[in-house]
Amino acid sequence: MHRSTSWFAALLLVLPASLVGQAQTIQNATLRRAQQAFDNLDYRQALTLAQASLRERLSGFERGRAYELLGFTYSGMDSILKAVEAFKQVVLIEPERDLDPNRTSPKALSAFQVALTQILVVRQLRVDSSNFIGGQGAVPIRYTVTQPSRVVTRITGGSGALASMRIDSTVANGQVNIRWPARLPSGDPVPDGNYSVVVEATVGQNSFSTSQPIRVTHGAVDTLEHLTSLPGYTYLPETEVPPKSWKPLGLALVYTGVAVAGTSALSHSDLGSPSTREVAVVGGGIAVAGFVMTLKKPAPQPARGNILYNQLLREQIARRNTEIAQENTRRRQQVALTVVPLPRTGVGR
Amino acid sequence: MRALALVLLVLAPMSLAAQRVSIGPQIAFGDYREVSSALHYRGNGLAAKATVEFKKLSADIVLSKVKYKPVDKNNGTSEFDASEIDVKMRYYIRGPFSAEVGFMNRKADPEFEAQSVGAVTLGAYMGYLLGPGVHMSLNGGLLFGAKYSGGGTTSGLGAVELGLGFTVDALKGRVQVTGDYGFQTFSRQTDDGSGPLDAPIQQSLGRVGLAVRF
Repeated sequence: MHRSTSWFAALLLVLPASLVGQAQTIQNATLRRAQQAFDNLDYRQALTLAQASLRERLSGFERGRAYELLGFTYSGMDSILKAVEAFKQVVLIEPERDLDPNRTSPKALSAFQVALTQILVVRQLRVDSSNFIGGQGAVPIRYTVTQPSRVVTRITGGSGALASMRIDSTVANGQVNIRWPARLPSGDPVPDGNYSVVVEATVGQNSFSTSQPIRVTHGAVDTLEHLTSLPGYTYLPETEVPPKSWKPLGLALVYTGVAVAGTSALSHSDLGSPSTREVAVVGGGIAVAGFVMTLKKPAPQPARGNILYNQLLREQIARRNTEIAQENTRRRQQVALTVVPLPRTGVGR
Repeated sequence: MRALALVLLVLAPMSLAAQRVSIGPQIAFGDYREVSSALHYRGNGLAAKATVEFKKLSADIVLSKVKYKPVDKNNGTSEFDASEIDVKMRYYIRGPFSAEVGFMNRKADPEFEAQSVGAVTLGAYMGYLLGPGVHMSLNGGLLFGAKYSGGGTTSGLGAVELGLGFTVDALKGRVQVTGDYGFQTFSRQTDDGSGPLDAPIQQSLGRVGLAVRF
Protein backbone atom coordinates (compact mmCIF):
# COMPACT_ATOMS: atom_id res chain seq x y z
CA MET A 1 0.00 0.00 0.00
CA HIS A 2 2.83 2.28 0.74
CA ARG A 3 4.26 1.50 -2.72
CA SER A 4 0.96 2.34 -4.25
CA THR A 5 0.97 5.71 -2.63
CA SER A 6 4.07 6.70 -4.54
CA TRP A 7 2.29 5.77 -7.77
CA PHE A 8 -0.63 7.89 -6.77
CA ALA A 9 1.72 10.78 -6.21
CA ALA A 10 3.07 10.27 -9.70
CA LEU A 11 -0.42 10.13 -11.12
CA LEU A 12 -1.18 13.36 -9.36
CA LEU A 13 1.53 14.97 -11.38
CA VAL A 14 0.69 13.30 -14.65
CA LEU A 15 -3.03 12.77 -15.00
CA PRO A 16 -4.31 16.24 -14.41
CA ALA A 17 -2.20 17.52 -17.24
CA SER A 18 -3.35 14.74 -19.55
CA LEU A 19 -6.97 15.22 -18.72
CA VAL A 20 -7.09 19.00 -18.71
CA GLY A 21 -7.59 19.25 -22.41
CA GLN A 22 -10.21 16.51 -22.33
CA ALA A 23 -12.10 17.85 -19.31
CA GLN A 24 -12.88 20.98 -21.24
CA THR A 25 -15.25 19.04 -23.43
CA ILE A 26 -16.75 16.93 -20.66
CA GLN A 27 -20.28 18.18 -20.14
CA ASN A 28 -21.61 15.49 -17.82
CA ALA A 29 -21.64 16.77 -14.23
CA THR A 30 -21.19 13.37 -12.62
CA LEU A 31 -18.19 12.64 -14.73
CA ARG A 32 -16.75 16.01 -13.93
CA ARG A 33 -17.21 15.31 -10.26
CA ALA A 34 -15.58 11.93 -10.67
CA GLN A 35 -12.64 13.67 -12.32
CA GLN A 36 -12.53 16.14 -9.46
CA ALA A 37 -12.51 13.29 -6.94
CA PHE A 38 -9.70 11.58 -8.82
CA ASP A 39 -7.74 14.78 -8.87
CA ASN A 40 -8.25 14.96 -5.09
CA LEU A 41 -6.97 11.40 -4.73
CA ASP A 42 -10.36 10.28 -3.51
CA TYR A 43 -10.38 7.11 -5.53
CA ARG A 44 -13.41 5.50 -3.95
CA GLN A 45 -15.44 8.60 -4.66
CA ALA A 46 -13.99 8.80 -8.15
CA LEU A 47 -14.86 5.15 -8.75
CA THR A 48 -18.41 5.58 -7.52
CA LEU A 49 -19.00 8.72 -9.55
CA ALA A 50 -17.42 7.33 -12.70
CA GLN A 51 -19.54 4.20 -12.53
CA ALA A 52 -22.59 6.37 -11.87
CA SER A 53 -21.80 8.54 -14.88
CA LEU A 54 -21.73 5.46 -17.10
CA ARG A 55 -25.35 4.85 -16.21
CA GLU A 56 -26.19 8.30 -17.47
CA ARG A 57 -26.45 9.59 -21.02
CA LEU A 58 -22.91 10.25 -22.23
CA SER A 59 -21.38 11.14 -25.53
CA GLY A 60 -18.89 8.70 -27.02
CA PHE A 61 -16.04 10.91 -25.95
CA GLU A 62 -17.39 11.21 -22.40
CA ARG A 63 -17.95 7.46 -22.23
CA GLY A 64 -14.36 6.89 -23.27
CA ARG A 65 -13.13 9.36 -20.66
CA ALA A 66 -15.26 7.68 -18.00
CA TYR A 67 -13.77 4.26 -18.71
CA GLU A 68 -10.29 5.75 -18.90
CA LEU A 69 -10.85 7.36 -15.50
CA LEU A 70 -11.97 3.98 -14.22
CA GLY A 71 -8.86 2.37 -15.69
CA PHE A 72 -6.55 4.86 -14.03
CA THR A 73 -8.45 4.59 -10.75
CA TYR A 74 -8.35 0.78 -10.73
CA SER A 75 -4.63 0.92 -11.63
CA GLY A 76 -4.12 3.23 -8.68
CA MET A 77 -6.03 0.83 -6.46
CA ASP A 78 -3.95 -2.13 -7.79
CA SER A 79 -7.08 -3.71 -9.28
CA ILE A 80 -5.29 -4.57 -12.48
CA LEU A 81 -7.88 -6.93 -13.94
CA LYS A 82 -10.55 -4.32 -13.54
CA ALA A 83 -8.23 -1.71 -14.95
CA VAL A 84 -7.66 -3.93 -17.99
CA GLU A 85 -11.39 -4.34 -18.45
CA ALA A 86 -11.88 -0.60 -18.22
CA PHE A 87 -9.11 0.08 -20.74
CA LYS A 88 -10.57 -2.54 -23.09
CA GLN A 89 -13.73 -0.45 -23.15
CA VAL A 90 -11.63 2.63 -23.86
CA VAL A 91 -9.99 0.93 -26.84
CA LEU A 92 -13.27 -0.40 -28.15
CA ILE A 93 -14.73 3.10 -28.00
CA GLU A 94 -11.56 4.82 -29.29
CA PRO A 95 -9.35 2.30 -31.07
CA GLU A 96 -6.79 4.99 -31.85
CA ARG A 97 -6.46 5.97 -28.21
CA ASP A 98 -2.89 5.78 -26.94
CA LEU A 99 -1.34 6.64 -23.60
CA ASP A 100 1.79 8.72 -23.46
CA PRO A 101 4.41 6.41 -21.91
CA ASN A 102 6.28 9.42 -20.56
CA ARG A 103 3.29 10.74 -18.70
CA THR A 104 1.48 7.62 -17.63
CA SER A 105 2.22 5.38 -14.67
CA PRO A 106 3.76 2.03 -15.63
CA LYS A 107 0.86 0.23 -13.93
CA ALA A 108 -1.74 1.97 -16.00
CA LEU A 109 0.41 1.64 -19.10
CA SER A 110 0.86 -2.12 -18.63
CA ALA A 111 -2.86 -2.53 -17.97
CA PHE A 112 -3.56 -0.62 -21.18
CA GLN A 113 -1.14 -2.83 -23.15
CA VAL A 114 -2.73 -5.97 -21.72
CA ALA A 115 -6.14 -4.63 -22.68
CA LEU A 116 -4.90 -4.09 -26.26
CA THR A 117 -3.82 -7.74 -26.55
CA GLN A 118 -7.15 -9.01 -25.32
CA ILE A 119 -9.31 -7.37 -27.94
CA LEU A 120 -9.14 -7.34 -31.68
CA VAL A 121 -8.72 -3.89 -33.15
CA VAL A 122 -6.99 -2.41 -36.14
CA ARG A 123 -5.31 0.79 -35.11
CA GLN A 124 -3.17 3.50 -36.58
CA LEU A 125 -4.23 2.96 -40.16
CA ARG A 126 -2.11 5.39 -42.13
CA VAL A 127 -2.05 6.14 -45.83
CA ASP A 128 0.92 8.27 -46.78
CA SER A 129 0.50 11.04 -49.32
CA SER A 130 2.24 10.01 -52.48
CA ASN A 131 2.73 11.16 -56.02
CA PHE A 132 3.93 8.81 -58.76
CA ILE A 133 3.47 7.82 -62.34
CA GLY A 134 0.79 5.21 -62.78
CA GLY A 135 2.38 1.79 -62.90
CA GLN A 136 5.73 2.99 -61.57
CA GLY A 137 5.02 3.52 -57.89
CA ALA A 138 2.80 2.58 -55.00
CA VAL A 139 0.95 4.09 -52.07
CA PRO A 140 2.41 3.12 -48.67
CA ILE A 141 -0.27 1.85 -46.27
CA ARG A 142 0.41 0.71 -42.73
CA TYR A 143 -1.67 -0.32 -39.75
CA THR A 144 -1.39 -2.22 -36.49
CA VAL A 145 -3.51 -5.19 -35.60
CA THR A 146 -3.62 -6.11 -31.91
CA GLN A 147 -4.21 -9.84 -32.21
CA PRO A 148 -3.10 -12.51 -34.68
CA SER A 149 -5.85 -12.48 -37.28
CA ARG A 150 -6.69 -12.68 -40.93
CA VAL A 151 -6.50 -9.13 -42.23
CA VAL A 152 -8.00 -8.13 -45.54
CA THR A 153 -7.34 -4.72 -47.01
CA ARG A 154 -9.75 -3.41 -49.62
CA ILE A 155 -10.44 -0.26 -51.61
CA THR A 156 -14.04 0.79 -51.66
CA GLY A 157 -16.09 3.71 -52.82
CA GLY A 158 -15.72 3.40 -56.57
CA SER A 159 -17.79 1.72 -59.19
CA GLY A 160 -17.29 -1.58 -60.93
CA ALA A 161 -14.18 -3.34 -59.70
CA LEU A 162 -13.57 -0.48 -57.32
CA ALA A 163 -16.81 -1.03 -55.45
CA SER A 164 -14.77 -3.37 -53.32
CA MET A 165 -11.35 -4.29 -54.58
CA ARG A 166 -9.15 -6.47 -52.39
CA ILE A 167 -5.56 -5.27 -52.42
CA ASP A 168 -4.07 -7.42 -49.67
CA SER A 169 -4.92 -10.40 -47.51
CA THR A 170 -2.62 -11.71 -44.83
CA VAL A 171 -2.43 -13.26 -41.38
CA ALA A 172 -0.76 -10.65 -39.23
CA ASN A 173 -0.12 -9.41 -35.74
CA GLY A 174 1.42 -6.06 -34.91
CA GLN A 175 2.40 -3.52 -37.49
CA VAL A 176 1.76 -4.30 -41.14
CA ASN A 177 3.14 -2.38 -44.12
CA ILE A 178 1.71 -2.83 -47.57
CA ARG A 179 2.13 -1.01 -50.86
CA TRP A 180 -0.78 -0.37 -53.17
CA PRO A 181 0.09 0.35 -56.81
CA ALA A 182 -3.23 2.15 -57.35
CA ARG A 183 -4.03 0.03 -60.38
CA LEU A 184 -7.14 -1.79 -61.47
CA PRO A 185 -7.00 -5.51 -62.20
CA SER A 186 -6.74 -4.54 -65.89
CA GLY A 187 -3.55 -2.63 -65.13
CA ASP A 188 -5.07 0.78 -65.71
CA PRO A 189 -4.59 3.43 -63.06
CA VAL A 190 -7.37 3.94 -60.57
CA PRO A 191 -9.68 6.72 -61.82
CA ASP A 192 -9.94 10.10 -60.17
CA GLY A 193 -12.11 10.14 -57.10
CA ASN A 194 -12.59 9.60 -53.41
CA TYR A 195 -12.14 6.10 -52.04
CA SER A 196 -11.68 4.38 -48.72
CA VAL A 197 -8.94 2.03 -47.63
CA VAL A 198 -10.76 -0.52 -45.49
CA VAL A 199 -8.82 -2.89 -43.26
CA GLU A 200 -10.82 -5.76 -41.80
CA ALA A 201 -9.37 -8.14 -39.27
CA THR A 202 -11.08 -11.42 -38.36
CA VAL A 203 -10.27 -14.02 -35.79
CA GLY A 204 -12.91 -16.61 -34.97
CA GLN A 205 -16.19 -14.86 -34.49
CA ASN A 206 -14.54 -11.54 -33.75
CA SER A 207 -13.89 -9.02 -36.44
CA PHE A 208 -12.90 -5.42 -36.57
CA SER A 209 -12.63 -3.04 -39.45
CA THR A 210 -11.42 0.48 -39.88
CA SER A 211 -11.09 2.73 -42.86
CA GLN A 212 -9.21 5.73 -44.10
CA PRO A 213 -10.69 7.94 -46.81
CA ILE A 214 -8.34 8.91 -49.60
CA ARG A 215 -8.52 11.06 -52.68
CA VAL A 216 -6.94 9.98 -55.95
CA THR A 217 -6.29 12.69 -58.50
CA HIS A 218 -4.83 12.45 -61.98
CA GLY A 219 -2.32 14.82 -63.47
CA ALA A 220 -0.10 15.13 -66.51
CA VAL A 221 3.38 13.69 -66.28
CA ASP A 222 6.12 16.28 -66.68
CA THR A 223 7.83 16.07 -70.05
CA LEU A 224 11.52 16.54 -70.66
CA GLU A 225 12.96 19.57 -72.42
CA HIS A 226 14.90 19.06 -75.60
CA LEU A 227 18.63 19.55 -75.43
CA THR A 228 20.54 22.26 -77.22
CA SER A 229 23.85 21.22 -75.76
CA LEU A 230 25.35 18.46 -73.71
CA PRO A 231 26.55 19.47 -70.25
CA GLY A 232 30.30 19.72 -70.22
CA TYR A 233 30.61 19.66 -74.01
CA THR A 234 30.78 22.79 -76.15
CA TYR A 235 31.08 23.25 -79.87
CA LEU A 236 34.56 23.95 -81.17
CA PRO A 237 35.35 26.51 -83.90
CA GLU A 238 35.19 24.82 -87.27
CA THR A 239 37.86 27.01 -88.80
CA GLU A 240 41.24 27.94 -87.50
CA VAL A 241 43.76 30.48 -88.66
CA PRO A 242 46.99 28.73 -89.58
CA PRO A 243 50.24 30.29 -88.42
CA LYS A 244 51.96 32.73 -90.75
CA SER A 245 54.38 31.11 -93.12
CA TRP A 246 56.69 32.01 -95.98
CA LYS A 247 55.18 29.31 -98.13
CA PRO A 248 53.29 31.69 -100.49
CA LEU A 249 56.43 33.67 -101.31
CA GLY A 250 58.49 30.51 -101.53
CA LEU A 251 56.09 28.86 -103.93
CA ALA A 252 55.77 32.03 -106.00
CA LEU A 253 59.54 32.12 -106.38
CA VAL A 254 59.65 28.42 -107.20
CA TYR A 255 56.99 28.75 -109.89
CA THR A 256 58.71 31.81 -111.34
CA GLY A 257 62.10 30.09 -111.14
CA VAL A 258 60.78 27.07 -112.96
CA ALA A 259 59.38 29.30 -115.70
CA VAL A 260 62.66 31.25 -116.06
CA ALA A 261 64.77 28.10 -115.96
CA GLY A 262 62.47 26.34 -118.42
CA THR A 263 62.60 29.24 -120.80
CA SER A 264 66.40 29.26 -120.68
CA ALA A 265 66.67 25.51 -121.01
CA LEU A 266 64.21 25.19 -123.87
CA SER A 267 65.43 28.19 -125.76
CA HIS A 268 67.11 27.36 -129.07
CA SER A 269 70.81 28.23 -129.03
CA ASP A 270 70.80 29.41 -132.64
CA LEU A 271 68.37 32.17 -131.71
CA GLY A 272 70.56 33.86 -129.17
CA SER A 273 69.89 34.39 -125.51
CA PRO A 274 66.20 34.15 -124.70
CA SER A 275 64.16 37.17 -123.81
CA THR A 276 63.40 37.42 -120.11
CA ARG A 277 61.34 40.59 -120.22
CA GLU A 278 58.02 38.79 -120.49
CA VAL A 279 58.68 36.18 -117.82
CA ALA A 280 60.18 38.82 -115.56
CA VAL A 281 57.03 40.95 -115.70
CA VAL A 282 54.66 38.08 -115.01
CA GLY A 283 57.02 36.33 -112.58
CA GLY A 284 57.56 39.61 -110.75
CA GLY A 285 53.84 40.00 -110.37
CA ILE A 286 53.58 36.52 -108.89
CA ALA A 287 56.49 37.17 -106.52
CA VAL A 288 54.89 40.40 -105.30
CA ALA A 289 51.57 38.59 -104.81
CA GLY A 290 53.35 35.82 -102.91
CA PHE A 291 55.12 38.36 -100.71
CA VAL A 292 51.88 40.16 -99.92
CA MET A 293 50.19 36.87 -99.11
CA THR A 294 53.07 36.00 -96.81
CA LEU A 295 52.59 39.23 -94.86
CA LYS A 296 48.82 38.97 -94.86
CA LYS A 297 46.98 37.18 -92.10
CA PRO A 298 46.27 33.70 -93.39
CA ALA A 299 42.71 32.87 -94.26
CA PRO A 300 40.92 30.61 -91.78
CA GLN A 301 41.17 26.99 -92.78
CA PRO A 302 38.62 24.30 -91.95
CA ALA A 303 39.63 22.47 -88.76
CA ARG A 304 38.84 18.88 -89.70
CA GLY A 305 39.15 17.53 -86.18
CA ASN A 306 36.84 20.17 -84.78
CA ILE A 307 34.36 19.67 -87.61
CA LEU A 308 34.24 15.94 -86.87
CA TYR A 309 33.93 16.63 -83.13
CA ASN A 310 31.05 19.05 -83.70
CA GLN A 311 29.41 16.57 -86.04
CA LEU A 312 29.64 13.88 -83.36
CA LEU A 313 28.28 16.30 -80.77
CA ARG A 314 25.36 17.24 -83.02
CA GLU A 315 24.64 13.58 -83.66
CA GLN A 316 24.72 12.84 -79.93
CA ILE A 317 22.34 15.72 -79.17
CA ALA A 318 20.06 14.70 -82.03
CA ARG A 319 20.07 11.09 -80.78
CA ARG A 320 19.34 12.21 -77.22
CA ASN A 321 16.56 14.53 -78.44
CA THR A 322 15.06 11.64 -80.38
CA GLU A 323 15.09 9.59 -77.18
CA ILE A 324 13.59 12.52 -75.27
CA ALA A 325 10.87 12.88 -77.91
CA GLN A 326 10.06 9.18 -77.59
CA GLU A 327 10.11 9.45 -73.80
CA ASN A 328 7.83 12.50 -73.94
CA THR A 329 5.43 10.67 -76.26
CA ARG A 330 5.34 7.86 -73.71
CA ARG A 331 4.94 10.28 -70.80
CA ARG A 332 2.04 12.05 -72.48
CA GLN A 333 0.23 8.72 -72.45
CA GLN A 334 0.96 8.25 -68.74
CA VAL A 335 -0.89 9.56 -65.71
CA ALA A 336 0.61 11.10 -62.62
CA LEU A 337 -1.34 9.81 -59.64
CA THR A 338 -1.61 11.81 -56.46
CA VAL A 339 -3.02 10.04 -53.45
CA VAL A 340 -3.77 12.00 -50.30
CA PRO A 341 -5.51 10.84 -47.13
CA LEU A 342 -8.66 12.70 -46.16
CA PRO A 343 -9.83 13.45 -42.60
CA ARG A 344 -11.65 10.53 -41.00
CA THR A 345 -15.30 10.86 -40.21
CA GLY A 346 -15.65 7.91 -37.85
CA VAL A 347 -13.82 5.17 -36.05
CA GLY A 348 -13.61 1.46 -36.56
CA ARG A 349 -16.07 -1.05 -35.31
CA MET B 1 38.39 31.59 -137.61
CA ARG B 2 36.80 28.24 -138.28
CA ALA B 3 38.69 26.85 -135.31
CA LEU B 4 37.44 29.68 -133.12
CA ALA B 5 33.88 29.03 -134.22
CA LEU B 6 34.31 25.35 -133.41
CA VAL B 7 35.68 26.11 -129.98
CA LEU B 8 32.85 28.50 -129.25
CA LEU B 9 30.36 25.90 -130.33
CA VAL B 10 31.89 23.40 -127.94
CA LEU B 11 32.23 25.81 -125.05
CA ALA B 12 29.01 27.72 -125.39
CA PRO B 13 26.74 25.07 -123.85
CA MET B 14 29.28 24.51 -121.12
CA SER B 15 29.52 28.19 -120.36
CA LEU B 16 25.78 28.47 -120.01
CA ALA B 17 25.85 26.06 -117.11
CA ALA B 18 29.26 27.15 -115.95
CA GLN B 19 29.96 27.94 -112.38
CA ARG B 20 32.42 30.66 -113.28
CA VAL B 21 33.13 32.67 -116.38
CA SER B 22 35.64 35.44 -116.65
CA ILE B 23 36.54 37.51 -119.64
CA GLY B 24 38.69 40.56 -120.13
CA PRO B 25 41.24 42.49 -122.19
CA GLN B 26 44.97 42.28 -121.84
CA ILE B 27 47.99 44.18 -123.02
CA ALA B 28 50.35 41.86 -124.84
CA PHE B 29 54.07 42.24 -125.31
CA GLY B 30 56.26 39.69 -126.99
CA ASP B 31 59.56 38.60 -128.35
CA TYR B 32 59.71 36.62 -131.59
CA ARG B 33 62.72 34.89 -133.18
CA GLU B 34 63.02 32.75 -136.22
CA VAL B 35 65.81 30.77 -137.92
CA SER B 36 68.67 32.81 -136.46
CA SER B 37 69.34 35.58 -134.01
CA ALA B 38 69.18 38.01 -136.91
CA LEU B 39 65.44 37.58 -137.26
CA HIS B 40 64.55 39.03 -133.90
CA TYR B 41 61.34 40.96 -133.31
CA ARG B 42 59.72 42.64 -130.41
CA GLY B 43 56.30 44.06 -130.20
CA ASN B 44 53.19 45.03 -128.33
CA GLY B 45 49.55 44.54 -128.92
CA LEU B 46 46.22 43.60 -127.43
CA ALA B 47 44.75 40.36 -126.29
CA ALA B 48 41.56 39.02 -124.83
CA LYS B 49 41.23 36.09 -122.50
CA ALA B 50 38.17 34.13 -121.48
CA THR B 51 38.11 31.46 -118.84
CA VAL B 52 35.28 29.05 -118.21
CA GLU B 53 35.15 26.72 -115.23
CA PHE B 54 32.65 23.92 -114.85
CA LYS B 55 33.11 21.35 -112.13
CA LYS B 56 36.40 19.60 -112.94
CA LEU B 57 36.61 21.10 -116.41
CA SER B 58 37.96 24.47 -117.32
CA ALA B 59 38.98 26.16 -120.50
CA ASP B 60 41.07 29.17 -121.52
CA ILE B 61 40.60 30.95 -124.79
CA VAL B 62 43.13 33.62 -125.68
CA LEU B 63 43.07 35.82 -128.71
CA SER B 64 45.99 38.14 -129.27
CA LYS B 65 47.34 40.42 -131.91
CA VAL B 66 50.89 41.72 -131.57
CA LYS B 67 52.68 44.02 -133.95
CA TYR B 68 56.24 42.76 -134.10
CA LYS B 69 58.99 45.11 -135.20
CA PRO B 70 62.50 44.03 -136.02
CA VAL B 71 64.99 44.70 -133.29
CA ASP B 72 67.67 45.38 -135.89
CA LYS B 73 66.05 47.64 -138.45
CA ASN B 74 69.03 47.48 -140.72
CA ASN B 75 68.89 43.84 -141.64
CA GLY B 76 66.18 44.28 -144.23
CA THR B 77 63.31 42.82 -142.32
CA SER B 78 60.02 44.56 -141.75
CA GLU B 79 57.36 44.52 -139.12
CA PHE B 80 54.42 42.13 -139.17
CA ASP B 81 51.29 41.38 -137.19
CA ALA B 82 51.00 38.09 -135.39
CA SER B 83 47.39 37.08 -134.73
CA GLU B 84 47.12 34.10 -132.44
CA ILE B 85 44.40 31.99 -130.96
CA ASP B 86 45.26 29.71 -128.13
CA VAL B 87 42.68 27.34 -126.71
CA LYS B 88 43.29 25.03 -123.79
CA MET B 89 40.91 22.72 -122.00
CA ARG B 90 41.79 21.29 -118.65
CA TYR B 91 40.51 18.44 -116.56
CA TYR B 92 41.31 18.49 -112.87
CA ILE B 93 43.07 15.32 -111.72
CA ARG B 94 44.30 15.65 -108.18
CA GLY B 95 46.03 18.08 -105.83
CA PRO B 96 47.30 20.97 -107.92
CA PHE B 97 47.45 18.94 -111.14
CA SER B 98 45.25 19.06 -114.21
CA ALA B 99 45.66 17.57 -117.65
CA GLU B 100 45.60 20.04 -120.49
CA VAL B 101 44.76 19.70 -124.18
CA GLY B 102 44.18 22.31 -126.85
CA PHE B 103 45.48 23.92 -129.93
CA MET B 104 47.18 27.09 -131.07
CA ASN B 105 47.23 28.91 -134.35
CA ARG B 106 49.30 31.95 -135.17
CA LYS B 107 49.13 33.81 -138.42
CA ALA B 108 51.62 36.35 -139.67
CA ASP B 109 50.58 39.29 -141.75
CA PRO B 110 52.18 39.97 -144.23
CA GLU B 111 52.30 36.27 -144.82
CA PHE B 112 55.91 36.06 -145.94
CA GLU B 113 57.43 38.12 -143.14
CA ALA B 114 57.14 35.30 -140.61
CA GLN B 115 55.95 31.77 -140.30
CA SER B 116 52.34 31.05 -139.60
CA VAL B 117 52.02 28.03 -137.39
CA GLY B 118 49.38 25.79 -135.93
CA ALA B 119 49.66 22.84 -133.59
CA VAL B 120 47.81 20.71 -131.11
CA THR B 121 48.91 21.06 -127.49
CA LEU B 122 49.02 18.37 -124.85
CA GLY B 123 50.44 19.00 -121.41
CA ALA B 124 49.95 19.44 -117.71
CA TYR B 125 48.79 22.34 -115.56
CA MET B 126 49.64 22.99 -111.96
CA GLY B 127 47.65 25.54 -110.00
CA TYR B 128 48.15 26.85 -106.49
CA LEU B 129 46.14 29.19 -104.31
CA LEU B 130 48.66 31.61 -102.83
CA GLY B 131 46.09 33.16 -100.56
CA PRO B 132 42.51 34.37 -100.56
CA GLY B 133 41.76 35.39 -104.15
CA VAL B 134 45.32 35.00 -105.38
CA HIS B 135 45.97 32.12 -107.73
CA MET B 136 49.07 31.19 -109.70
CA SER B 137 49.72 28.51 -112.25
CA LEU B 138 52.46 26.83 -114.17
CA ASN B 139 51.84 24.81 -117.27
CA GLY B 140 53.90 23.01 -119.85
CA GLY B 141 53.36 20.70 -122.75
CA LEU B 142 54.24 19.52 -126.18
CA LEU B 143 53.01 20.94 -129.45
CA PHE B 144 52.14 18.12 -131.79
CA GLY B 145 51.50 18.14 -135.52
CA ALA B 146 52.89 21.58 -136.08
CA LYS B 147 52.14 22.98 -139.52
CA TYR B 148 54.06 25.91 -140.95
CA SER B 149 53.10 28.22 -143.75
CA GLY B 150 56.60 27.98 -145.17
CA GLY B 151 56.82 24.24 -144.82
CA GLY B 152 59.06 22.28 -142.60
CA THR B 153 58.66 19.63 -139.95
CA THR B 154 59.20 19.19 -136.28
CA SER B 155 60.04 15.98 -134.48
CA GLY B 156 57.65 14.63 -131.86
CA LEU B 157 59.37 16.32 -128.95
CA GLY B 158 60.65 19.25 -130.95
CA ALA B 159 57.93 21.74 -130.12
CA VAL B 160 57.42 22.74 -126.51
CA GLU B 161 55.49 25.37 -124.66
CA LEU B 162 55.75 26.70 -121.14
CA GLY B 163 53.42 29.01 -119.30
CA LEU B 164 53.16 30.96 -116.11
CA GLY B 165 50.13 32.86 -114.90
CA PHE B 166 48.38 34.51 -112.03
CA THR B 167 45.05 36.05 -111.15
CA VAL B 168 44.34 38.39 -108.27
CA ASP B 169 40.72 38.97 -107.27
CA ALA B 170 39.57 42.52 -106.74
CA LEU B 171 36.24 44.12 -105.90
CA LYS B 172 35.07 41.04 -104.02
CA GLY B 173 36.05 38.75 -106.84
CA ARG B 174 34.05 40.49 -109.53
CA VAL B 175 37.19 41.74 -111.22
CA GLN B 176 40.48 39.99 -111.63
CA VAL B 177 43.93 41.27 -112.41
CA THR B 178 45.46 38.76 -114.80
CA GLY B 179 49.00 38.10 -115.88
CA ASP B 180 50.18 35.38 -118.26
CA TYR B 181 53.42 34.36 -119.76
CA GLY B 182 53.71 31.92 -122.65
CA PHE B 183 56.86 30.57 -124.21
CA GLN B 184 56.81 28.52 -127.41
CA THR B 185 59.71 26.97 -129.21
CA PHE B 186 59.53 24.94 -132.41
CA SER B 187 62.64 23.03 -133.52
CA ARG B 188 61.58 23.26 -137.11
CA GLN B 189 63.62 21.76 -139.91
CA THR B 190 63.35 22.46 -143.58
CA ASP B 191 64.76 20.62 -146.50
CA ASP B 192 65.22 22.34 -149.86
CA GLY B 193 66.87 19.28 -151.35
CA SER B 194 70.29 19.97 -149.93
CA GLY B 195 69.53 18.23 -146.64
CA PRO B 196 67.71 19.21 -143.46
CA LEU B 197 68.29 22.68 -142.18
CA ASP B 198 67.40 24.01 -138.75
CA ALA B 199 64.84 26.80 -138.90
CA PRO B 200 63.67 27.20 -135.30
CA ILE B 201 60.85 29.47 -134.24
CA GLN B 202 60.56 30.88 -130.72
CA GLN B 203 58.13 33.29 -129.09
CA SER B 204 57.86 34.70 -125.60
CA LEU B 205 54.57 36.43 -125.00
CA GLY B 206 53.57 38.28 -121.88
CA ARG B 207 50.05 39.49 -121.18
CA VAL B 208 48.76 41.65 -118.37
CA GLY B 209 45.20 42.77 -118.02
CA LEU B 210 41.85 42.71 -116.27
CA ALA B 211 38.96 40.33 -116.37
CA VAL B 212 35.38 40.51 -115.25
CA ARG B 213 33.92 37.50 -113.54
CA PHE B 214 30.39 36.32 -113.86
